[in-house]
Amino acid sequence: MFAESQLWAPNPSPALVDPLALPPAAWLTALASMPGAGPRRLARLLRRWPDPAEAWRAILEGDPTDIHHTLGKRNTPLVDSWRRFVAANDVAELWQLSSDCGIGAVGCTSPAFPSMLADDPDPPAVLFHLGNPDVIAGPRVGIVGTRKCTRYGHDIAKTFGRDLALAGVAVVSGLALGVDAAAHQGAVDAHAAPPIAVVANGLDSVYPRRNRQLWTDVAEAGVVLSEAPYGQSPERWRFPARNRIIAALSDIVVVVESHERGGSMHTVTEAALRDVPVMAVPGPIHSSAAEGTNELLRDGCAPACSVDDVLIELGMVASGRESSAETRPDPTGQQRQVLDALGWLPATAEQLLGRLRWSVAELGACLVALETAGWIVETNGWFERVARG
Amino acid sequence: MLATVASASLSGAQGWPVGVEVHVSGGMPSFSIVGLPDTSCREARDRVRAALLSCGMEWPMQRITVNLSPTGVPAGGAGLDLAIALAVLVASEQITPLAITSVGALAELGLDGTLRPVPGVLPLVDVIAADTVVVARSNHIEADLVAPGLVRSVHTLGELIDILTGDVAWPAPPEAPEVADEPNHPDMADVRGQFFARFALEVAAAGGHHLLFVGPPGGGKSMLARRLVGLLPPLDREQSLLVSRIHSAAGELLPSRGFIRHPPFRAPHHGASSVSLIGGGTASMRPGELSLASDGVLFLDELGEFGPSTLDALRQPLEEGVVRVARAHGSATFPANVLLVGAMNPCPCGGAGSPGGCRCSEAARSRYHRRISGPLLDRFDLRITVARPEPAELLSTEAGEATSEVRDRVLRVRAIAAERGTPPNGQLSPLELESVAPLTAGARAVLEQALAEQQLSARGLHRVRAVSRTVADLLGDEGELEAEHVQTALVLRTDPLAGGRPRRRQHVR
Repeated sequence: MFAESQLWAPNPSPALVDPLALPPAAWLTALASMPGAGPRRLARLLRRWPDPAEAWRAILEGDPTDIHHTLGKRNTPLVDSWRRFVAANDVAELWQLSSDCGIGAVGCTSPAFPSMLADDPDPPAVLFHLGNPDVIAGPRVGIVGTRKCTRYGHDIAKTFGRDLALAGVAVVSGLALGVDAAAHQGAVDAHAAPPIAVVANGLDSVYPRRNRQLWTDVAEAGVVLSEAPYGQSPERWRFPARNRIIAALSDIVVVVESHERGGSMHTVTEAALRDVPVMAVPGPIHSSAAEGTNELLRDGCAPACSVDDVLIELGMVASGRESSAETRPDPTGQQRQVLDALGWLPATAEQLLGRLRWSVAELGACLVALETAGWIVETNGWFERVARG
Repeated sequence: MLATVASASLSGAQGWPVGVEVHVSGGMPSFSIVGLPDTSCREARDRVRAALLSCGMEWPMQRITVNLSPTGVPAGGAGLDLAIALAVLVASEQITPLAITSVGALAELGLDGTLRPVPGVLPLVDVIAADTVVVARSNHIEADLVAPGLVRSVHTLGELIDILTGDVAWPAPPEAPEVADEPNHPDMADVRGQFFARFALEVAAAGGHHLLFVGPPGGGKSMLARRLVGLLPPLDREQSLLVSRIHSAAGELLPSRGFIRHPPFRAPHHGASSVSLIGGGTASMRPGELSLASDGVLFLDELGEFGPSTLDALRQPLEEGVVRVARAHGSATFPANVLLVGAMNPCPCGGAGSPGGCRCSEAARSRYHRRISGPLLDRFDLRITVARPEPAELLSTEAGEATSEVRDRVLRVRAIAAERGTPPNGQLSPLELESVAPLTAGARAVLEQALAEQQLSARGLHRVRAVSRTVADLLGDEGELEAEHVQTALVLRTDPLAGGRPRRRQHVR
């Protein structure tokens, strides 16, 4: 069924396309592009008219009462705006634009619709995909966390992403900045199990743009999914909606680092609604970026201290992977003192100087040498320790 | 009859000699000023007339023409009042021409005949070619600085007429008030802890490197920046004269009525317009904050709140050390040799500053960071992230090193630069750096590594070398730069705003 979209080679001249020759994905794209066509309304339409082309025609030519009836509520302005949209837009043209970007679509009534989403209490009506959607089959773990992560969270997300992929588990995440991107980067670098991304905007554009390369890599190695049709910008409400899909797709959700409130905590709530187990990575108690995860642990979440914890929770055998050998040059005595003074929380040069009471030149020499050796990393004037990779 | 009195008018920070010519002849009573006078000069008629009548003189009921020569140069300011009054008196034959031979006049007149001070008397008096220059009493000491012995001052026009026409002696010059010469800059001893920022201040002062503090509110950025000016060497005579001229031209009061001998400190509010910062203006060319801070410190607090175009206007003057303001009616060149110190929050919320501590949206952060353009950020050789001091440091009773001690080290480094015959390290050209700052193999390796990791641009490389030189000078290490010096310079130049966001969405494929 997914292959269907590929059977239909895009026609160079949309005006000449026979409407009957268009694949269902084309009609789904057109229907999802209508203003105010959210997942619930679309699902009602598709249950009433399993063939999306018929739903389109019903809106265009059918009796409006029928549509009101299908929606379960009289909503004249909405139906009028749909009629106007349907009358003004050419399905073939919309499909041409969308398929030129390589975007495929599948409806909730189709047998190809992922089963765990079809059984969901709040399923997406149409799922757009970039890449190979068949990869959704295997075990999947959602890795989520804050956009404003510390080096600690970034490193853990990357390691978890890499090791889970190596263990054959698909990493599900949101391709946002911070933890999401780190997890996917790890999964992509592993060249093993395919990564799955769920994003909030139309698949024709990259958001956030800084993840452009990663986005392409994920689409090539795995799949990028979205509920939003071609050309849709990432509106605010689409992010929580995206989180519910991440929760629904995951067998386990691992929160790597999260503030007290934020998107990750919303994903946790959605996971709880679906009985998806949630695991949290413990963080330093002073770090505001770990407040949410530590709170989850206090509430009884299982701690994820290593990838093996996650694999065991999944019912898989622990990878038994030894953490890789230390390849970095041993720090000198002075450098060791700097590492001890730094600990595992970010610190400025000023704070280190206060703790060590050295001269600036002594500290500067150690910091640059440690950074070159890969023991620490500097971001915006803050130094953070890097764990063994 | 015709009379001429020498005076002067201000254009930018520069005085221009103006000859005030008055012609009184028969005809319908009238008064006209020609020679591109500005508004306050045009209004001189009413002030001069009232002042003359108040002193018991007569206002000639004849045709009076005032010409300000050279006629092509715009002349302005109320400072020409006294010259017009004297010329009218001579031209209407109320006093003899001999009385005003080689007398220059530079004062505004009150309606009661009092002489009032004018701004910019320093550059003005300098250009008047006369044996005696009459100014208002409160301008006397300032004017005397550039023209010692020539300046005379009186209280009223009546008094002046008595002196010029009779045997009355000039009144004694006013006494300069006794004011301590030491400026009361805040002292470095008040700073608790903050050793890294203190070192950065020392490097900035020693090498003349621009400095940027980034940190959360309450971290002490402004407190530190205000202590920098105390570390700078006192101005030499030439600088002192230049700085005093600029301040005088801007109508600023000079300290204890004398030369400015200490580096100025200017901290304009972030609402400043670019004209107020750079200089210029529609009516007159006034020096901006940038020039008023010349040879001292220009402190821009809340750098992220300044208008982006205002900040970018600073780039060229910072590079060249002068600012050239051009307007339709003329242009002016002001000095702009400042040590720039910026302070800003890491993001709009200020946050804890630390990674993971900020609550701003990505969009808000990137909007904030875009206000500081890359080229401007590049001008800052030293970029220091300031965190809130740790409680033990704040409560420590241990006083920091005092300003005077740190300044001694700064002066030593400046002396080293002077011995080498080069400008302060911050202004070394790449060519000069080659000879002044040779590298050891170790230092070269550190720089190569930084270049390979794309931490440094070609321009950044030069700046790091210049800072390394200052660090080495401060540590008393002459000769080649060691790895340690370069590493210290690199730690002093972290990028506090890395990770700017793109502006537009972009389509894939």
